[in-house]
Amino acid sequence: MELKVRKFSETYIIDVNGEMDLYNSYKLKELVLKMIEKKIDKYIINLENVDYIDSSGIGALIFICSHIKKVNMKLQITNIHGSVKKVIELTKLMGYFPISNTIEEAIAKIEQ
Amino acid sequence: MSDEIKLLKVDENSKLFDKTGMFYKEFDSDFRQIRYYTLLIVQKAPAEIKEINLLEQQISEIIKNAVKHGNKCDIKKKVKVWYYFSTEKAHLIVEDEGEGFKELEKWNEFNKKRISCFLNQNFEEMEKYVSFRTAESDDHDSGNAMFAAVEYWNGGVVFNKKKNCIAVLKTFPKKKMGIELNGQ
Repeated sequence: MELKVRKFSETYIIDVNGEMDLYNSYKLKELVLKMIEKKIDKYIINLENVDYIDSSGIGALIFICSHIKKVNMKLQITNIHGSVKKVIELTKLMGYFPISNTIEEAIAKIEQ
Repeated sequence: MSDEIKLLKVDENSKLFDKTGMFYKEFDSDFRQIRYYTLLIVQKAPAEIKEINLLEQQISEIIKNAVKHGNKCDIKKKVKVWYYFSTEKAHLIVEDEGEGFKELEKWNEFNKKRISCFLNQNFEEMEKYVSFRTAESDDHDSGNAMFAAVEYWNGGVVFNKKKNCIAVLKTFPKKKMGIELNGQ
């Protein structure tokens, strides 16, 4: 899994590339925690290039989502598809996670 | 998706424990190899199965539970896997050498509360039920694997009496043949 960060206006977009599994999902948690320390408060996690996620990946997203809610920051998760979407649906987290179809939609929600 | 609350069951005599005609492999409890073990199993699945990534992921979770929670990653302890795939079903039995899933009833109660939050769309309350933790959980345990498993394995998730052996069954929708009549 590779993580790339880019900025659009005041929002930081984290592009996740590859598989989010039991061996690497902690990296996303660590990255977001470091960004929170730097007082960054608007996040998009873009899963466009993720075709595989397991419970550790879901756990990382829950951790991030829960943490960001607690500190009153903003988060959107975008471009979920295929088995990633299915795992989120099976875990019944579609309403729990702040999900947008596209980055544009996510930016609109975050910066409104 | 059905709103029926699915449970982890204990039934030593379940037909899901019938190993007749199933393939068999056993593995050391090496945490680093869990995805590799899973690939060795899932390569037997027919190419026609859709969402093979999802099947792989669901099998990986069960093997991970056996390696980590059952055998505590003790390399000397074995994980035994029986498996069978066709275009109609995926059937898996995984046994470890651990003490068994003692918190099974607690898990069912926890999951009922989680589903209730979901059905009521009460996501603030759901925050309490997104991760099932036990005294043995560590920071790497996400505590959500079985939530998806109990939904995915639509033919059942059953444990033996000791709860160190799990059998799961997934049935795939049959491919429609011919012409559809009257919207059937």
